[in-house]
Amino acid sequence: MKQILEVRNLHKVYPSGTHALKGVSFDVYEGEFLVVIGLSGSGKTTLLKCINRLEEPTSGTVRFLGEDITHIHGKHLREVRRNIGMVFQQFNLIKRMPVINNVLAGKLGYMKTLPSILGNFPPECIQEAIKNLEIVGIKEYAYERADKLSGGQQQRVAIARSLMQSPKLLLADEPVASLDPATSNSIMQYFEKVNKELGVTVICNLHFLSLVRRYASRVIALKNGEIVFEGSPREIDEKWFKTIYGEEAEEVEIR
Amino acid sequence: MLEPELEFHPREKILKKRKNQEKINLIKAILLDIFFVFYTILVLQRAIYYKVILDLRELPFSWTEIGLFLVVSIGIGTIWGLSRTSLGARIMGLAEETKSAKLVSEIFAWALFNLTFISGWLVTKISIIDLFSKEGIEGANRIFSSLFTPEMGIFDDALFAIIETIYLALIATLLSIPPTLILSFVTARNLMKDNIFTFSIYYVLRIILNFVRSIEPLIWAIIFSVWVGIGPYAGMIALLVHTIAANAKLYSEAIESIEEGPVDAITATGANKLQIIWYAVVPQIVLPFLSFTIYRWDINVRMATVIGLVGGGGIGTMLMQYQGLGQWHEVGLIVIMIAIVVWIMDYISAKIREAIY
Ligand SMILES: Nc1ncnc2c1ncn2[C@@H]1O[C@H](COP(=O)(O)OP(=O)(O)OP(=O)(O)O)[C@@H](O)[C@H]1O
Ligand SMILES: [Mg+2]
Repeated sequence: MKQILEVRNLHKVYPSGTHALKGVSFDVYEGEFLVVIGLSGSGKTTLLKCINRLEEPTSGTVRFLGEDITHIHGKHLREVRRNIGMVFQQFNLIKRMPVINNVLAGKLGYMKTLPSILGNFPPECIQEAIKNLEIVGIKEYAYERADKLSGGQQQRVAIARSLMQSPKLLLADEPVASLDPATSNSIMQYFEKVNKELGVTVICNLHFLSLVRRYASRVIALKNGEIVFEGSPREIDEKWFKTIYGEEAEEVEIR
Repeated sequence: MLEPELEFHPREKILKKRKNQEKINLIKAILLDIFFVFYTILVLQRAIYYKVILDLRELPFSWTEIGLFLVVSIGIGTIWGLSRTSLGARIMGLAEETKSAKLVSEIFAWALFNLTFISGWLVTKISIIDLFSKEGIEGANRIFSSLFTPEMGIFDDALFAIIETIYLALIATLLSIPPTLILSFVTARNLMKDNIFTFSIYYVLRIILNFVRSIEPLIWAIIFSVWVGIGPYAGMIALLVHTIAANAKLYSEAIESIEEGPVDAITATGANKLQIIWYAVVPQIVLPFLSFTIYRWDINVRMATVIGLVGGGGIGTMLMQYQGLGQWHEVGLIVIMIAIVVWIMDYISAKIREAIY
């Protein structure tokens, strides 16, 4: 299996002094569906943001497809980011824009500045956007304003937007945390589809263990900025669960 | 291969930072205390001793005295601040948590407030007598009665002058938009903080804008009426300058308070800075910008009338002329017309802003 991401001894100290990541190391291989679990504040979001450099790691290295991307910047950084899609808990769409423009925004990294600002997307881009909306099953909403859609639909738009990048790696930061259980499951199925059918490697932060067991091919667990578990989802038994989430925690079921 | 591991000890780094922060806070506290003591001595001497006790008309002034006070204050302030029982230490969060330390700083704060209030009262010479004296009442009578019997003969001239004022305010507002837009982006902290070069641009421009804004339009009008001559042109430039500085601040604050989420999302696609601004920032700020600008037109109409008083053209200049001649019935008409226009502008701008949201 080909390695797609290599993270070594990653530290992140925020300017406020919070030491959010304390020497995290792991590898990700092509085609994996890696799920990151851990309590609130354990550093999951920080970890994902350090991978595509929305946050600057304080020390350590991140290698993407064999290349050290920890210190690249400018055009080079933008070209690497093109290959790494990201989906957020709060969807982060441009609310006042139509769905189709939100999806097209995923192509910005490939476009020249002037045409993109004028909204001059080539016809094949628009076709691709429609195709991606079709993949997530909301083609008929293409010309609605993004904030008119429900949460689940907005998250599907966000997935379509990231697909426009033709990503090799997709980062998803608690993509279903603000959705109801049924919608959560259907969104996770789209991630599975992207992973299995389009062959995109996925790293996904999740809270619910039932979703983890169902979709993850491998799991790492963070606690206070350190990896405390790494393995297959089947290995997370009662004992591990208490280690990761604390003694008082009890598993809740979500289907 | 051995990696050239960076020297890195996060915990030490954090501790060191915290220590430095404490040092800086202590210095700030001491400076505050020096100021408080200096202020107290000065006010006690000049307002209370000279004015109240000696009842002097001309206050004596000597630099040596002030210098002496300053030296004394530096001494007291430093010792007091270092003892961590002072008001400055409390404000900076460094004070000891003992009962007596608390009491001392509270009493001092209370004394400072009273001292300021009393000397403020003295300085503004508050006098109930003037308000209700015979002459006072007569003056008020003259003004109010002419307000109700305005001289309609100058209506045409006044109308023309007030239209001039409205246009002047409108042009100042419209011309302010392009420079304000540019300035607001380069003075928005969240867009400029990433590298030293842009951050220094941000910093210098902020200082300049703060300075320009702290000078009232009225004073700008005085400056420009000397510069380009009395008339609407001077008034317009004065408003323009102040509008740019004031709105650049409002706009840049709107930019600073946008949701970060969309910015992250667009950044993650590999977009460049301009694309990020256009796709993630601009859509979030169009409406607040429009709203500020319309509101500013409304404010500018009011300011334009005041600016006219110092030679900025329009209805204000006309008002000043009739007031100088003591023609109170004409003044009455002008005041009524200004009130009506301001009220209408206020109403319209509120309605437009409502409609936008
Ligand atoms: N921008 C920031 N500035 C300062 N501290 C931050 C910032 N972002 C996160 N932190 C801190 O870093 C730690 C890790 O936060 P992070 O958001 O990565 O956790 P998380 O596992 O994603 O939590 P959640 O499940 O609540 O999203 C927390 O203590 C948080 O307060
Ligand atoms: Mg998070």
